[in-house]
Amino acid sequence: MSELLSVHKLATCFHSRRGIIRAVDEVSFSIAAGETLALVGESGSGKSVTAASILRLISAPGRIEGGEILFQGQDLLKLGTAAIRQIRGNRIAMIFQEPLSAFNPVQSIGTQIVEAIRLHRKVSRKQAFEQAVTLLERMGIPSPAQRVHEFPHRLSGGMRQRAMIAMALSCEPDLLIADEPTTALDVTTQAQILELLKELQAANGMGMLLITHDLGMVAETAHRAAVMYAGRVVEEGSIDRLFTAARHPYTAGLLASVNIEALAPGTKLPEIPGSAPSLLNPVQGCAFAERCNARHALCDKQTPPLATDTEPESFPGSRHRVACFLPARPDAIPLPVESEAA
Amino acid sequence: MYRIILEHILQNRAAIAGLLLLVAVILIAVLGSFYLPGDPWEMANAPMLWPGDDPDSPLGTDIMGRDIATGMVSGAKVSLLVGFASAFISALVGITFGALGGFYRGWVDAFLMRITELFQTVPQFVLAVVLVAVFKPSVVTAVFAIGIVSWPPTARLVRSAFLVLREREFVLAARTLGMSDPRLILTQLLPNALPPVIVISALNIATAILTEASLSFLGLGDPNVMSWGTIIGNGREQVVDAWYICGIPGIAILVVVLAFNLLGEGLNDALNPQLHKR
Repeated sequence: MSELLSVHKLATCFHSRRGIIRAVDEVSFSIAAGETLALVGESGSGKSVTAASILRLISAPGRIEGGEILFQGQDLLKLGTAAIRQIRGNRIAMIFQEPLSAFNPVQSIGTQIVEAIRLHRKVSRKQAFEQAVTLLERMGIPSPAQRVHEFPHRLSGGMRQRAMIAMALSCEPDLLIADEPTTALDVTTQAQILELLKELQAANGMGMLLITHDLGMVAETAHRAAVMYAGRVVEEGSIDRLFTAARHPYTAGLLASVNIEALAPGTKLPEIPGSAPSLLNPVQGCAFAERCNARHALCDKQTPPLATDTEPESFPGSRHRVACFLPARPDAIPLPVESEAA
Repeated sequence: MYRIILEHILQNRAAIAGLLLLVAVILIAVLGSFYLPGDPWEMANAPMLWPGDDPDSPLGTDIMGRDIATGMVSGAKVSLLVGFASAFISALVGITFGALGGFYRGWVDAFLMRITELFQTVPQFVLAVVLVAVFKPSVVTAVFAIGIVSWPPTARLVRSAFLVLREREFVLAARTLGMSDPRLILTQLLPNALPPVIVISALNIATAILTEASLSFLGLGDPNVMSWGTIIGNGREQVVDAWYICGIPGIAILVVVLAFNLLGEGLNDALNPQLHKR
């Protein structure tokens, strides 16, 4: 399968007065056309910085310090500013968490979609406007001919998110980066937006990078997922395998914390003890060691590399990578459940 | 959007009063020359005629027998021209400095703000006097001199607005669409920063009119154009015997400045979203 986007050993750092923050460190993943990769992790794990790095939207004091981002065979990190602008919005588009703040408050949504189209396509204002109406209609917005004149604050949350997707898709990008696209929406609308994204992906075969911390959403929409922890990818693989046979203790812990149906009533919900380390003073060795219950001497000395995992054999053909010296046996996941007596 | 603003302006009594006064002055400036086609510098009647003494000179004449009504019409034109033109220059320079500084920050901002501070520390009126005196007094030099001394507050205002706006998510979203910096500044940030600039520009017009009158009073007005300040300057020696010579243009200046201030205040109320909720 040819790769649409392939990120290799990406490193993005922020130079603050208190020191260097390695927000993204040696992050590697790839997305094929028509595929959805979910980037999962808690707040501050580097998901959004990874997305911003792909579009080269890191501004001072941040800097992309290493690695390569191959998009259709072209290294985005080597492009000039004019060339990267031709990619943004045209070949790679992005949608945001809060559609209200992502729209210019003093322009109608139509004006903004027209602007987005005319940035990359040589069409007249009138043609672009007609396209905008068609796009809004495709996104399932009722009476698009009237809505197109509305200002962002006059639309409902779900409608705004649809309008933003319309704007992002106005130039038919090959890759869509969705940064927590449904976090600001209510549950019914969330499901509708996810359904819409899936439909659009099926229709035009674009790749999608879905950034989220909602594991339910990952299971629903993504084909593969990469789990990030403290700026690094700790595990990557197909959804089937990741959700049933997680190898990294952090992934296992995350899954255990949402798998509450298996628990007997009255038991305390499982959690991963401790909190994520500060990126300002990176610990030596595995960043997760502090919270891991399978920790051993090597974990404190070396950072485990993200290596291709051969086990278990029950999933032939699916490439699975894990960054752990002692990956858990899928049949014996050490669930960090605290007992009531403790 | 603009309809809502217009509605707010029309609900504001001060703004309506300002607007009506302004329309009256514009009408006088435009239509006045049809009724009083004479040259304001020509001797038209006996000197020192009080208003109402002679129906041919309804506002009287000055010591040289020049018709004051004709002079007032000419002055209205000068005042409006200088007011609008210099406020436009001031807005243009101020927006450019403020927008570039606020958008790019860093050394660009530091450099532009030092220049702004340079202009802020020099007394405005003195600088205007010097500029007009150096470059031969005329309407054009007055416009430029007043424009050049009055832009720093606008620059500061635009800069502060841009510093806030550049961090907003819609600017980032516009960047992800592949927008270039100039386009980002003109289509995304500037429209959001414009309301306070409109208000300050209305007040700048009032200040500019006052400054022009002061310059003309000091004899630094255009020698070929009769302005309100010139009439006051010419009449100052007869201020005890014939106070109307200074009084009439004085009242005119008061009315125009008041009109722009009221309008500015009304625009502020209409454009300031925080005040809507009250």
